Amino acid sequence: MNVAERYIQYVREKTQAEPEKSWDKILLGFRANHFRTRFFPKRSLSKGYQKLENMMMGLVADSLANGDRYIWGNIFAPCELIHSFGLNMLSIECLSCYMTGYHLEDFFIDFAQSLGIAPTLCSYHKTFIGGVESGAVAAPSYAVTTSISCDGNLNTFRYLQKKNNVPFTLLDVPYTDDEASVDYLTGQLKELAASMEQHLGRKLDMERFRESMRIENETRQELKKFAKLAQKHYYPGDIIDQLYLMMGTHLLMGTKEFLEQVRFMNEDIQTYPEFHGKRILWVHLLPFYQESLKEYFNGSRQYQILASDIVMDYDGEMDAEDPFRSVAVKLLQNVFNGSYSHKAQMIGEMVDEWRPDAVIHFCHWGCKQASGGSPLLKEAMKERGIPMLILDGDGIDKRNSHDGQIKTRLEAFLEMIEEESAQ
Amino acid sequence: MIGYICKYTPIEIFEALGEQVERIEPEVNTFNQADTLMHPNICSFAKGLLEVALEKRYEGIVLTTCCDSIRRVYDVLKEKLPDTFVYMLDVPRVTKDAGIALYERRIREMVRAYEAYSGKVFEEARLEALLRERYRGGGQAGAAAQPSEAAKGRLRVGVLGARANPNIHRILRERGVEVAFDLTCTGLGRKLLVEEENLMAGYARGLLGQFPCMRMETAANRDQAIVRYADSVDGVIYHTVQFCDNYSYEYAWLKEILHRPLLLLETDNTRQSYGQILTRIEAFLESLRASEDGRQEQIAVRRQSRRENTEMYVLGIDSGSTSTNAVIMDGNREIKAFSVVRTGAKSGESADRILGEVLGKAGLKREDISWIVSTGYGRVSIPFADENVTEISCHGRGAHYFNPRIRTILDIGGQDSKAIRLDEKGEVVDFVMNDKCAAGTGRFLEAIARTLEIDISEVGPVALQSREAIEITSMCTVFAESEVISLIANNKEKADIANGICQAIANKSYSLLKRVGLEPDFMMTGGVAKNPGVVRAVEDKLLAKLYICPEPEIVGAVGAALYALEQFERGEANGSV
Repeated sequence: MNVAERYIQYVREKTQAEPEKSWDKILLGFRANHFRTRFFPKRSLSKGYQKLENMMMGLVADSLANGDRYIWGNIFAPCELIHSFGLNMLSIECLSCYMTGYHLEDFFIDFAQSLGIAPTLCSYHKTFIGGVESGAVAAPSYAVTTSISCDGNLNTFRYLQKKNNVPFTLLDVPYTDDEASVDYLTGQLKELAASMEQHLGRKLDMERFRESMRIENETRQELKKFAKLAQKHYYPGDIIDQLYLMMGTHLLMGTKEFLEQVRFMNEDIQTYPEFHGKRILWVHLLPFYQESLKEYFNGSRQYQILASDIVMDYDGEMDAEDPFRSVAVKLLQNVFNGSYSHKAQMIGEMVDEWRPDAVIHFCHWGCKQASGGSPLLKEAMKERGIPMLILDGDGIDKRNSHDGQIKTRLEAFLEMIEEESAQ
Repeated sequence: MIGYICKYTPIEIFEALGEQVERIEPEVNTFNQADTLMHPNICSFAKGLLEVALEKRYEGIVLTTCCDSIRRVYDVLKEKLPDTFVYMLDVPRVTKDAGIALYERRIREMVRAYEAYSGKVFEEARLEALLRERYRGGGQAGAAAQPSEAAKGRLRVGVLGARANPNIHRILRERGVEVAFDLTCTGLGRKLLVEEENLMAGYARGLLGQFPCMRMETAANRDQAIVRYADSVDGVIYHTVQFCDNYSYEYAWLKEILHRPLLLLETDNTRQSYGQILTRIEAFLESLRASEDGRQEQIAVRRQSRRENTEMYVLGIDSGSTSTNAVIMDGNREIKAFSVVRTGAKSGESADRILGEVLGKAGLKREDISWIVSTGYGRVSIPFADENVTEISCHGRGAHYFNPRIRTILDIGGQDSKAIRLDEKGEVVDFVMNDKCAAGTGRFLEAIARTLEIDISEVGPVALQSREAIEITSMCTVFAESEVISLIANNKEKADIANGICQAIANKSYSLLKRVGLEPDFMMTGGVAKNPGVVRAVEDKLLAKLYICPEPEIVGAVGAALYALEQFERGEANGSV
């Protein structure tokens, strides 16, 4: 057992014994990992992914270390607006993922369930609730959530407001994306800004907000370029890198650092050889810990994840003249909002643009909105002649995911697409 | 006929258009279509709704964006029923002016869509007349706060949580319980007032102004109203639907702030779940009555002590899913004889068999038995029982009989597991049950024993010989079984696998026990208590010893016999037995 593993085990045991006394130990580990990923990055990764991992580790470590400089969000909360207050945002989904670094997810999940939280709830939410309720995770002074993409958001934030006095704003994202909905949501975004000014005593920097719209547009173009390049080049990464990219497009969108990161990746990828294997479009979350997925995808020359809907969930242009309205439109037209035919259509467009060989849809435990539509997406992909695999499991809780079953399904599917292309 | 589900649906619009409306209350046998067209892990109300909507031909189905599962039901119905008016009405979560204006607009859009579909024309005047007529007296009955004259002396219970299954009301009604309030979305009456100046805006305002469900922003204030209402009742039933997680948050919160006995009742909209609902509600009512009955019981106990040395016998019979157990007890609370037989396909037949057997062991005849109480899943199918009591109360009573220091019981039977907390008198103060899946039950052990090719009685002793720690991570019986198969394929030792299984059961049991509080002393009952591997694993988790009586399977039957004895004594005192 090396030093890092010993420290992980130490924090895990300490947190389980005295959760309310372990926050500093958790933070110290994050800071150490930030240092490690910078000076001793994982060799098997391409340079771009090494930098990406370090960037996300830094975001988490720095934000948490300065409790008054960051707020909680869900993954769809408008980070552009929050940055324009000079604040960072961490989403509860990502925080839960980082807690798995200490293998604390099962302790936190069991803790939440013992309070009466439903075992069938999304494991990201349960981990987070357990983390906060056990006293292990310290709370900031504000939170923002959207009603998309799932019911858990409003309920989790409201619960934590009641129990831990963290004030929050809900952004109610209507189902359809017509003008009336845009007005309604724009109004709420403006109210959010006013409420943050009042609660946090900070001023919104409108110019910064506008500038972030311009940066965001550039970043989106670079990301699309990256997907195109990933079609051609072998670019070694781990499946977790899709989650890091998702953190980038949701927690750091509109920042210069993230734009530079994607630009670097676009330069870097072109120095890598051609890719001759199968390209996969991944739909929904990735169980980054799953052994058989790591075995098949991490650094693989045979199978490469080309893109994911959780990273590229919006394809429009931001208007720097009206950033509030742009953010509203972005939420309304998001792949996770509205009817499933809207989602199927957007994924169809991704398929047309990036030409993957296959689609894999991961049904995360407790995620009704994603799982419930998976057969419809499979139909839609069939019409386009793209094979699709549905995998059942859990993005965080290993106890709800059976690797043997995932392995068998994945192998059979990969055999099937290999066979098809050989014909 | 237009089918709808949600209280925010503007049904009066369709009625003003001359249509009949019906709230869909699914009660189905299987989720065959829903499991393939959606996913098994979708809320069971939504799955039941899909089954009903596909089978029963409605002219229109109006859904609302109430939750993730319903959004997906809409997507499937839209695809599968192209000729039906399947409509998704977006209900804002915000009930301030912006939300009301948006909702009014959405309702108008829905009207236009229905006009185009049906060729009918909507007239506001008809809606106005209908609203005036229907809500003239201030609306339909909603929650009643004060006890009615007729209800004095009866138990008063409130119902909260997710939309209440009609069976809950039926069971309560049949047991003479007064439902003081039902704040679930199907329990509330509507009160919609007419705003002369602006009919449609007023209508939208009225709809959104109803008692908020958990998807609404204003639900933050629900707890204040609930605490007020709960003051007037003996206990509260908190209802949730399987795979609907939204209400569990409120339950977790109310558990802390509501000082009333609270039952968490999960249902799944299948016909088969009726028995489970019944057991939970009956046990809850028994525990509510127990506190009232305390005084009378003392009298009965005193009377009993005076009547020592009498030749009187009672019988307790526990009809479980795996075994049927019977106990004959005499007037001194001494066990005269007991018997354990395997429950066959018909619980009634096993009961006849065990009656003969236990009478034979005691050397008694049927007419020597003064009173018979049945308990367990099959308790209602025992033809010769004088009355039945749930296994929860009986386990509590039985545990207290064997060891009065016991405060927390873990009972693992053939198809369910439960944790029960007792007070110092042996009364049940709280309980939780896990009966939705076989994980961690006797059936689970049987399945694993079969896979390991050893007899179920060997699993425990074999586990004790384990040398290497193996973690079985899967919670589900089917998953765990295939996990065990892969471990066998990897040449892992049987002893280590068996021990891993015992640990998995212990982990599950521990979280069950935690939910009722971990108050010592602990006792384990049920067939699985005979497995030393599980017992050791649970003790390791608890860091405490488990008390296990010589025959852990008969604790429920002993409890039933004790109930019979008390009932008989009391009845005799009243001259009614």
